[in-house]
Amino acid sequence: MYKTGEYRETDKMSDLICDNYPMVLVMSRFGIALGFGEKNIGEVCRTNQVDVYTFLKVVNFLATDVHEPITGYDTRLSLDTLITYLHNAHDYFLEFRLPNIRRKLSESLKDCPKDAAFVITRFFDEYAAEVKKHMNYEEKTVFPYVRELARGIKNPKYNITIFRKHHDQIEMKLVELKNILIKYFPGEGSNLLNSVLFDIFATEQDLATHNQVEDFMFVPAILALEKSI
Amino acid sequence: MSITLKIVVAESSAIIRSGLEMMLKKLSGMNIKVIEADSADKLLELIRHNQPDLLIINPAFPGCFSLQQIKDESRCPDIKCLALIYSLMDQSLLRGYDDQINIYDSTDEIRHKLERLHEDEANESATDEQLALSTREKEIVVCVVKGMTNREIADRLYLSTHTVITHRRNIARKLQIHSASGLTVYAIVNKLVELDEIKT
Repeated sequence: MYKTGEYRETDKMSDLICDNYPMVLVMSRFGIALGFGEKNIGEVCRTNQVDVYTFLKVVNFLATDVHEPITGYDTRLSLDTLITYLHNAHDYFLEFRLPNIRRKLSESLKDCPKDAAFVITRFFDEYAAEVKKHMNYEEKTVFPYVRELARGIKNPKYNITIFRKHHDQIEMKLVELKNILIKYFPGEGSNLLNSVLFDIFATEQDLATHNQVEDFMFVPAILALEKSI
Repeated sequence: MSITLKIVVAESSAIIRSGLEMMLKKLSGMNIKVIEADSADKLLELIRHNQPDLLIINPAFPGCFSLQQIKDESRCPDIKCLALIYSLMDQSLLRGYDDQINIYDSTDEIRHKLERLHEDEANESATDEQLALSTREKEIVVCVVKGMTNREIADRLYLSTHTVITHRRNIARKLQIHSASGLTVYAIVNKLVELDEIKT
């Protein structure tokens, strides 16, 4: 069980990471590397030119169990910082996480019957393609729209509600893959296969919280911004 | 059988709320997602947004009007409601609730109550041996992974499309697999079809 409660900028960055280790991913998505010594959160953010307020907002949102839309226009939230964070998260999933699971999965399927290995790999590839499509849409359509909006230019053909309605739950299919491996894996178990399963569990959680940041922080902020223009 | 439930807990005390959440999450054989609501204005929005199966609410929740109003305004008319009780309470205040949880209930008592509510809902309550696919369902899986539409499956097996859809829903529930490509993996691994029959 991770510790909950609000983190402040005077708390040590290393305490945040040790209390709640998935935060190491959050930190690196803001562009902050390890090796920050005894510095506190505020100092580390400033050294890395990361907006402290937005960083803490995301950290505290993820650290508490109450996940509900943040309403009202929060002018202190830096949309630029938030978009950087979301973009780096997309990169992480598409360029690192999924290819990494793919590699380990095909390695652990080596001794399986060929046809089963084929359909399982195909299932995974279809899933990865879906995630890619989902995230590319955000990169190519949503983020440019928001960047313009933040500069006061409103594209009359688009609004964030369109996105909100189509924002589907991409982690559902991952649950399915997990079920398939757990219940129907056709070969001998192996340490590598277990490790793939661990990765899938972690990724499922990671994707779910990523979506929560989008649905409950990002989208409400844009909604409020749209109303103010 | 594993039961999946989404539950909103409406209670203004953080201690009671998180205590209840801990208990619910520890129930084995149940996969429970808890969403906490600490005030009435958030409650409606949370229910509307999450469409939960169950609402556990303190009848004295501040700003809470009537259950019917909650159901109407959050557009979630079928949600089951459990009263969260601290002490003895006038029965007339508890009308409209599907059941009640007392803060002195044991883990087992809570489990039984949730299971009972869940069974009411899924009146086709599946017992364990029913979780294996029937011959008919296996035939349908084979058709689905070959890429046939519901209409085509219905014609092939002399069923109505409505029956096919019901079968597919049951298959998804039993296997916890919803996509056609997921069913393909199931069918291959369980040797219901050969790979060259389905390669497109």
